[in-house]
Amino acid sequence: MKKVEIFDPAMCCSTGVCGPSVDPDLTRVASAVYSLEQKNFDVTRYNLANDPAAFTDNKEVNQVLHEKGADALPITLLNNEVVKVGNYPTNDELAKWLDVKADELQQKPRVAVPIDFN
Amino acid sequence: MYQSFNPKINVETPFLFFTGKGGVGKTSVACATAVSLADQGKKVLLVSTDPASNLQDVFEMELTNDPVSVPSVDNLFALNIDPEESARIYREKTVGPYRGKLPDSVVATMEEQLSGACTVEIAAFDEFSHLLSDESILNTYDHVVFDTAPTGHTLRLLELPTAWNGFLEESTHGASCLGPLSGLGDKKRAYAEAVQSLSDQEKTTLVLVSRPDQSSLIEANRASSELRDIGIQNQMLIVNGLLQTYQPDDEVSTAFYMRQRNALKVMPDELKEVETFMLPYVSYSLTGIGNLRQWVSDDPLLESALNESSIDTEKIQLPKLNSIIDDFSSKGTRVIFTMGKGGVGKTSIASSIAVGLSEKGHKVHLTTTDPAANLAYMFHDEGTMKENLSISSIDPTEEVEKYKQEVLSTVGKEQDEEGLAYLKEDLESPCTEEIAMFQAFAEVVERSDDEIVVIDTAPTGHTLLLLDSTEAYHKEMSRSTGEVPTSVKKLLPRLRNPKETGVVIVTLAEATPVLEASRLQEDLGRAQIVPTWWVINQSLYATGTTDPVLKGRAVSEKQWIRKVNEKLSHQCALIPWMHEEKIGYNNLKEMINA
Repeated sequence: MKKVEIFDPAMCCSTGVCGPSVDPDLTRVASAVYSLEQKNFDVTRYNLANDPAAFTDNKEVNQVLHEKGADALPITLLNNEVVKVGNYPTNDELAKWLDVKADELQQKPRVAVPIDFN
Repeated sequence: MYQSFNPKINVETPFLFFTGKGGVGKTSVACATAVSLADQGKKVLLVSTDPASNLQDVFEMELTNDPVSVPSVDNLFALNIDPEESARIYREKTVGPYRGKLPDSVVATMEEQLSGACTVEIAAFDEFSHLLSDESILNTYDHVVFDTAPTGHTLRLLELPTAWNGFLEESTHGASCLGPLSGLGDKKRAYAEAVQSLSDQEKTTLVLVSRPDQSSLIEANRASSELRDIGIQNQMLIVNGLLQTYQPDDEVSTAFYMRQRNALKVMPDELKEVETFMLPYVSYSLTGIGNLRQWVSDDPLLESALNESSIDTEKIQLPKLNSIIDDFSSKGTRVIFTMGKGGVGKTSIASSIAVGLSEKGHKVHLTTTDPAANLAYMFHDEGTMKENLSISSIDPTEEVEKYKQEVLSTVGKEQDEEGLAYLKEDLESPCTEEIAMFQAFAEVVERSDDEIVVIDTAPTGHTLLLLDSTEAYHKEMSRSTGEVPTSVKKLLPRLRNPKETGVVIVTLAEATPVLEASRLQEDLGRAQIVPTWWVINQSLYATGTTDPVLKGRAVSEKQWIRKVNEKLSHQCALIPWMHEEKIGYNNLKEMINA
């Protein structure tokens, strides 16, 4: 099965609103990733601010970072190979890599079930 | 008017939280309360987050983040938490292991993301959540007194059901301000219990501390209703530093008294519903245990307290505002920011600088962001205003609202209800206002090509560094989405150029405002911006008042004036306390030479 991994830059905020400008790309990617997960594709995102281990453990990502620095992020891997550096994949690219239709990737993300505090 | 606050009678719950903005005297009130309760034989734990560590001076001992018995007060135990330090430790814990493993530029971006105001807020909550949820604390102590309280933003984040699961387990979505929490997933039970204790009326009293001035009371009202909305109902208000009498023949004393009484008359209606007590303005400084005891005693105004005016008689001479104006005028500075925490008078300083520069024949544009300032009122005698001075204002509420709408309409429409709630909470973060304001005044600064621009606020170093890294990022990618406006891009190099830009830090001659101002300076330093001037505003010392109570305070200002002048600033000006009513073009002119 094909595997897609997206290594995000350090984000205070994946919604982008704490940053200097809102990046609609972030929400598009969030939606696409969610849709793919629902279809049981193996798609994972790592945020540098929360999950730095993923960036050192992965040899490919680590190498790109050492060559190009922080500006190389986001980095996308398809089956452990770097396929995109410095930009998020478009929906068309994701669709092509995973053999789905691009318009199936626009499902709205639902966030996890409420937690029971008691 | 109001009953004096008496901890013996007025304290009913085991947990007490004192809240209020910087400089209202939370730590002093919390301290006096703790000492008074301990004096009655109650076993008390005082939890301080006072970054100035004034407590260490009060108790003449080192405090750590473990409870230590205070030798000079039976039954009293104290501990000190520095949220900035907690945030720093957390940041280091997260980032440290990756130094050397990841390139420096990558590590730097991680650090900056964990340097925001949210990280500090959450780190503080993390520190005291275990005190609230630990049963053994309640079994050991009769009262636990906190000299701070979590903000509504922090509590709402913790309450959002999606916060934990959504952020910690799903990778599709994240809330900014929970970033710092991601390593703390195992603590969610303690957090939940802490939130529950806070809203239990039998357990917790929230004490709002306010100065008897308008902006402080408005802030208290905001905190009161925000915390009530999330279930903290048991509240009380202490009006701190109320001058009891005045000297009719002393102009400063009379004006000071009237200003306080007038502010209380226009107190927000909702706040009037909260049970209110007062603590008097006293001549002695609230630094020794003896003084604190006397302050909450039956006779707080008794002159037995240490009178410092007899010890320190040295006169301090410092430049006036006119020196700043001369300096900027001769250097040809194009953009001038005044910055400081709320209530220090940065708007009137900015206005006076603008007036002074226009009097020297420069073309000047003044922009204010202070909603209370009301420029039209400040320049009500506009007829006397020179033609080369123009004014405008940026309303932070409006700008934030505009920014929120922009965000919600671009990215919000793709969200479902929970995602939207999440996004909205992110927008309540303290960073949002900074960003929104920054965009708004980037446009104003564009005008400095033709005229001197004076603005009564400045971006924080954190905002600047975030923008800077994004700028680099955008340069590299030349992406079309999430574009940073051109005016913003041009602002950064301009701000860093000391020939073009002057930053004036405004503060008061008191412990907390001086500390907060020095933090602002450090933060700007991270973005390589060095303030040109410091201004110590509203100084009683500089008035030469003869009122016995005010004079006592004037003398205690001296140590802070010295600290700013000798340790913190390159150049420093001192401005006397002035009547609030003294507003208008001619009076601003007067302030320059006061």
